[in-house]
Amino acid sequence: MAKMPAKTLSSEALRQFHDWVDEYPNKRSMLMMVLRLVEEEFGCIDDDAMEIAADLCGVNVAHVQGMVTFYTHFKRPAHGKHRFMVCATLMCALDGNTDQALAQIRAKLGLKPGEATPDGLFSCEKVECLADCDKPPVIQKDDEHFCSMKGPALDAYIDKLLTAEGKTSEQYLAATPVTMDLRVAVLPVHYNFEGEQNVGARRFDDKDPYFAPGEGSENGSARTTGVPPALKTPLTAPVAGGALNPSNAGHGANGTSGGQHG
Amino acid sequence: MAETTPPAAPPAPPASEAPKPKPVVPFSPVILKHIHEPNAHTLEHYLARGGYETARKHVGETDPASLVAIVKDSGLRGRGGAGFPTGMKWGFLAKGTGKPAYLAVNGDESEPGTFKDRHILEKDPHQLLEGVILTCWAIQSNHAFIYLRGEFILGYQRLEAAVKEARAKGFIGEKSFGKDFPLKVTVVRGAGAYICGEETGMLSSIEGGRGYPKIKPPFPAVSGLFKCPTIVNNVETIANVTHIVKNGADWHKQWGTEKSPGYKIFCLAGAVKKPGVYEVPLGITMREFIDVYGGGMVEGRTLKAVIPGGLSAPLLTPEMVDKCTLDYESLAGLGSMLGSGGITVLHDGVDMMSAIYNTMRFYHHESCGQCTPCREGTGWLEKLAHKHHAGHAHAGDTDLLADVAKNMRGRTICVLADAAAMPMQSYLQLFRPEFDKRVAAPEYVEKGRTARDEITPAAKRESVTHGAPGVLDVGMGMDRV
Repeated sequence: MAKMPAKTLSSEALRQFHDWVDEYPNKRSMLMMVLRLVEEEFGCIDDDAMEIAADLCGVNVAHVQGMVTFYTHFKRPAHGKHRFMVCATLMCALDGNTDQALAQIRAKLGLKPGEATPDGLFSCEKVECLADCDKPPVIQKDDEHFCSMKGPALDAYIDKLLTAEGKTSEQYLAATPVTMDLRVAVLPVHYNFEGEQNVGARRFDDKDPYFAPGEGSENGSARTTGVPPALKTPLTAPVAGGALNPSNAGHGANGTSGGQHG
Repeated sequence: MAETTPPAAPPAPPASEAPKPKPVVPFSPVILKHIHEPNAHTLEHYLARGGYETARKHVGETDPASLVAIVKDSGLRGRGGAGFPTGMKWGFLAKGTGKPAYLAVNGDESEPGTFKDRHILEKDPHQLLEGVILTCWAIQSNHAFIYLRGEFILGYQRLEAAVKEARAKGFIGEKSFGKDFPLKVTVVRGAGAYICGEETGMLSSIEGGRGYPKIKPPFPAVSGLFKCPTIVNNVETIANVTHIVKNGADWHKQWGTEKSPGYKIFCLAGAVKKPGVYEVPLGITMREFIDVYGGGMVEGRTLKAVIPGGLSAPLLTPEMVDKCTLDYESLAGLGSMLGSGGITVLHDGVDMMSAIYNTMRFYHHESCGQCTPCREGTGWLEKLAHKHHAGHAHAGDTDLLADVAKNMRGRTICVLADAAAMPMQSYLQLFRPEFDKRVAAPEYVEKGRTARDEITPAAKRESVTHGAPGVLDVGMGMDRV
């Protein structure tokens, strides 16, 4: 029996996905944005999120894993809830700016770059250029961007976060930080669907991702259709308005076959 | 050059032989004109200053070929780094293939030292959007992708909002400006990969894959996004299009030099009093730029070197800076490049070994890993640079650095290997004595001591890594994340 992801996308996120469908020539090209969508939805990109993204974009999970490990800005489960990204490229590192910011984070949270607190609330890492080189050091904390972030401003900001979480600096300085492990898990066999032979592979048509818009595959199902096939990921709530495109008869048939997997 | 020549001093006769100096035309910022005004990113603000009028006038009305001709005449060169003439690139777009043509706008801006596109995207996104509309009409494309780096969160929000506003106003859509010109604009976010600033790497990323560059030829203009003809331009280039179409080619050519006409946004970082973004006519002297726009060096420091065009550009020494003007040819003549216009000033206290180690660490981290010379070469350069930085280098390691760098150039799919090798070769050429100083003498190696201990006593070294004055260590250690 196929394993279903434990998580499901909210209907708002699915609606956003369906809004994007018209914007992209094929589903695979939506992957960057879909990964952002699941990242926002679940707070980070874990195995389930990768599977949902693969499902939505019609690529295999291994491809999504390849993407997530290639692009370093995606938030992963190993990262802390509050993820500090400190620019360590030359322009920021000049005059010891990066060193100072890292030293301050270490003094407050006991974290060296590449480490997270044991409770998973905070993590610290060095990243490459964040493109605001005239105001070093540049720090990103999740979606927040800070320039000239050192000295009292940085201390006050970390204190604010600590207070909001109900933690103290001493707690973290006493604890042993954990090293972040950003590797992805090898897919277990039960990720396969029934009857599927290739371990770790999914039955999605990823043969030629470079179909030009308008070109279809041989069995006539155009990859560039404006309406995606039914999702194998169950909906948490029905999408308002019912079927997305009632005129598309083939769509319903797809939906039935997709349902069998559940 | 032209701007620094006093107009009151005509060349001595025979006048026919001397090159006629270009008249000095006062310049005020064009693209960055409104970025300091509050709400400059909103549609109301943009419409109030005549926004979208140029696009409304030309879309569906003007012959697209004439727009390409204007841009070609203006001599506009790509602002992303390579400096390829934009109009010529548009002319290469494959016609009659039966496939749709795409415009891909490169807002990845990953070259360290560059932060100009950030200002356009965050503070004036409609300006970019109007350029996109005009460009799409000129190259007859119905779909534009704007690729932003994932770190531009505010930029993405504002650009996305701008696209929605423009769509609601009917500037973009099935009938743009009410004309029979369907246009879609799609904003794609990257996620922290330097290589996606390379044009084919960016296209791979838009297609939903790892940002692997593709071999050229075929060039994107023939077979790019989804194997369709694609024009790839930088954000600043596209923002320029509106102004050139509005004011004409001659207006653009009144600034700059003959081969580098126009103006450009330069980003100034490092040891100057007023770092920031400045839009200046091409051809002004580097000294003027640093001293007048940048306010000169910070107190108590002197100029040691300048990185003129992003981290991958070879360095300029103070003597070269004196000779340098800010245009493509002058910098190429000095063995460097204008690149993306990210100018970083290094002061006399910067430890060049830690600077090159930091640089090499960057390229090793960002190599996509497709080509062996780059994947392995950047790793070798980083390790050898670290050995020099830490004072563990053996005799011959410096020559090995030069050898590895030489053999990386021109042997890979994209130019990242060259981008890593160029600064290394330039550091070796200009600062070879500093490398040699860090080669450990045999007696130190035996005693477990390093040459570095002799150069910088351990106690002093501890203090300088945290921002104290003195020798600055920017290598940032071996632990990479």
